[in-house]
Amino acid sequence: MSDDTTSGTGVSRRKFLITSSAIGATGLAGCSGVLASGDDEGELLNAEGSSTVYPISNKGSSYWNANAPPSDGEYWGSNDESTVPGWDKLDTEKNLADYFAGLYGFDETDERSNPPYNTTVSLSHSGTGCKAVRDGLVDIGNSSGPITAELDLSDSEASEQFVDHVVGRDGQPVVVSSDVYDNGVQQLTGEQIRGIYQDEITNWSEVGGPDKEIYCIGRAEGSGTDTSFRLNMLGDAEASMSGVDTRFGQNQQVAEAVSNNDGAIAYMALAFTSDSVQPIAIDFEGTLYEPDKDAENTIFDSEYPLNRDLHMYTKITDDTESGTDMREGAFLNMFLTDFGQQVFVEQNNYIPLPTSDIEAEAEKLPDQA
Amino acid sequence: MARTSNEGGTEAGPLARRRRQLRDAVADTDPDALITVGVMASALLTALAMFLAASSLTIVPFAVFLLSAGYGWVRHQGLTARVLTFSMMVSTILILLLITVFIFVESIPVVRYESTTVFGISVPGLRLFTQTQWDAVSPPVRYSMVPMIHGTVVVTTIATLVAAPLGVAAALFLSEIAPASVRDVVKPGVEILAGIPSIVYGFIGFTILSPWAAGQFRTSGQGTYLFVGIVVGLMALPTVVSVAEDALSSVPESMKSGSLAMGTTDWQTMTSITLPAAFSGVSAAVLLGVGRAIGETMAATVMLRGVPQLTEPLYNVFYGQATLTSLIANNYGEADGLQMDALFVAGVILFVTVLCISVGAQYIEWRMRRKLGGES
Repeated sequence: MSDDTTSGTGVSRRKFLITSSAIGATGLAGCSGVLASGDDEGELLNAEGSSTVYPISNKGSSYWNANAPPSDGEYWGSNDESTVPGWDKLDTEKNLADYFAGLYGFDETDERSNPPYNTTVSLSHSGTGCKAVRDGLVDIGNSSGPITAELDLSDSEASEQFVDHVVGRDGQPVVVSSDVYDNGVQQLTGEQIRGIYQDEITNWSEVGGPDKEIYCIGRAEGSGTDTSFRLNMLGDAEASMSGVDTRFGQNQQVAEAVSNNDGAIAYMALAFTSDSVQPIAIDFEGTLYEPDKDAENTIFDSEYPLNRDLHMYTKITDDTESGTDMREGAFLNMFLTDFGQQVFVEQNNYIPLPTSDIEAEAEKLPDQA
Repeated sequence: MARTSNEGGTEAGPLARRRRQLRDAVADTDPDALITVGVMASALLTALAMFLAASSLTIVPFAVFLLSAGYGWVRHQGLTARVLTFSMMVSTILILLLITVFIFVESIPVVRYESTTVFGISVPGLRLFTQTQWDAVSPPVRYSMVPMIHGTVVVTTIATLVAAPLGVAAALFLSEIAPASVRDVVKPGVEILAGIPSIVYGFIGFTILSPWAAGQFRTSGQGTYLFVGIVVGLMALPTVVSVAEDALSSVPESMKSGSLAMGTTDWQTMTSITLPAAFSGVSAAVLLGVGRAIGETMAATVMLRGVPQLTEPLYNVFYGQATLTSLIANNYGEADGLQMDALFVAGVILFVTVLCISVGAQYIEWRMRRKLGGES
């Protein structure tokens, strides 16, 4: 693993990954013309994996299966009352799934609730999703951590076997319970957070808050969220987390525990923050990242060190040398449109990809028909 | 038969007699039936062998088995039924054995990893129990089982303290004091309670009980062994009530009547005759309840903190870290390598413990039956 970078160099590591995967994709794009799409028509497309990628993947799947006509306005297309985001770039007469599947040569059904092929998304964990796609149980493996860490592969082994489709970014804001937030802790430095999680700081009064013991919440040992927090915040994927009082596997549990307990601090997916689970600003080496979208530097920026890519992995097989067959390509392409980024990524409180990343991701998909 | 006896038949031992019996049975049976049964047995054995070899053609011998069983059922029902029931019994035992072997084999790597040298001899697995640190990620990586065993013992003790007095008292009332009409309604009702899914208890515990307890006891955050123990005890209660009631009701009426005829009160009969006579049955009920408490997963998983470490001091029940079951449930999704094997070790410990408890309960029940079953 190339994981032994510090929080300061986390950005460059990510850039390296993006660059290397883009190079890999360019190489693969050349041989995608050999694909045959006819024989996998009508077959169910299934995905499984991380609860963090699940909201994006599942919303996309639900929209796809509903195959709404363009007159719908709320889910697809435009009418007098509303227009879906990003519609000006699409503007088609076809139903949703008909349109996206049609780009890859599938026949349209022209019927609501009857897409050219159905999609389904199961909820498990990053590791389970990666294993499922490795073993051919599912077409797409959703993971919030890189597959190299989940399956213990080297970068070259991973790129030989899998194609990494990044569909969005997840910021991991550090959150505190409202009693702490209202009593003065609205911003911490990276060093203070490290101290809290490594048991050097145990009372909120040490960081300008109320005199209250810190209830420090971590994530399931060895999970994608846990590993990336250790790496990006504590400086090492194997850093000690001796200050952790509780570990939870799921974002919902973390949100529930933070809102039910005084003096709590946790980190979790952006999608689960609320009034009682307040994200705080973090000062990383002089740059203050604020939880406010209009601030100069925000926790939504891709430069925020706790942001991570959300992956949908497909497997390279004998039948599909590019690693992504037509069904997978059509579905994944939906997430890379303006419509997909806004509806599936941004509306779930995740961070949409910048244009350059979208172009690099589109290169990995098979050629459109 | 494994061995062949001498030609002349000079051996009149039991082996030779069995051989003769078998030969007679074969001679008496319709050859068609024999062939059918033979095909069934060999097809099933082949299917098992191919299953163990993970062959994709396992379905073929299994289909042959089903077909021959169907044919045999129509033509030679009696013999086929005997063979079928026998093979079902064997497969049940075989499946249990395979599962047991699997969890033991899976746990071997971590047992090797946690070897310690004592007096110059390397003892595999000893370090699982001689130090108390669990950390699957940051070095030194250690997989101590001590915190989880401690958690399981604490939770089980509290659960027993809740379930045993409540359960035995309720069973005594139902069996000896309540009118028949009340018993007819309440006993099935209590048994239905046993069917409530444990996640329901866990959910109430996680969202309501745990935060409330954290506020009352001023602990840092939620998750206490005390409340997990209470919840698990309540979950085990229906089992205890039901089995203890059976034990108390099975005390022969003649014993109670004899006591009453001596001029004792109802209460004196209960405490000095019924309860002592049914003591082993009541203990079995409590043991079964304890078995359920040890194996309870969901409620413990959602209510505990999931950080394997000992509480300070050891009898501090106001912090709840992890039990053997919650460790497995919390980590199975993310664990790999040695961490996964360590979860299998937790499984082995659970398996052995629950096995001992059910054997104990069975033994006590057997003793009770021998003591009181004179009439039958």
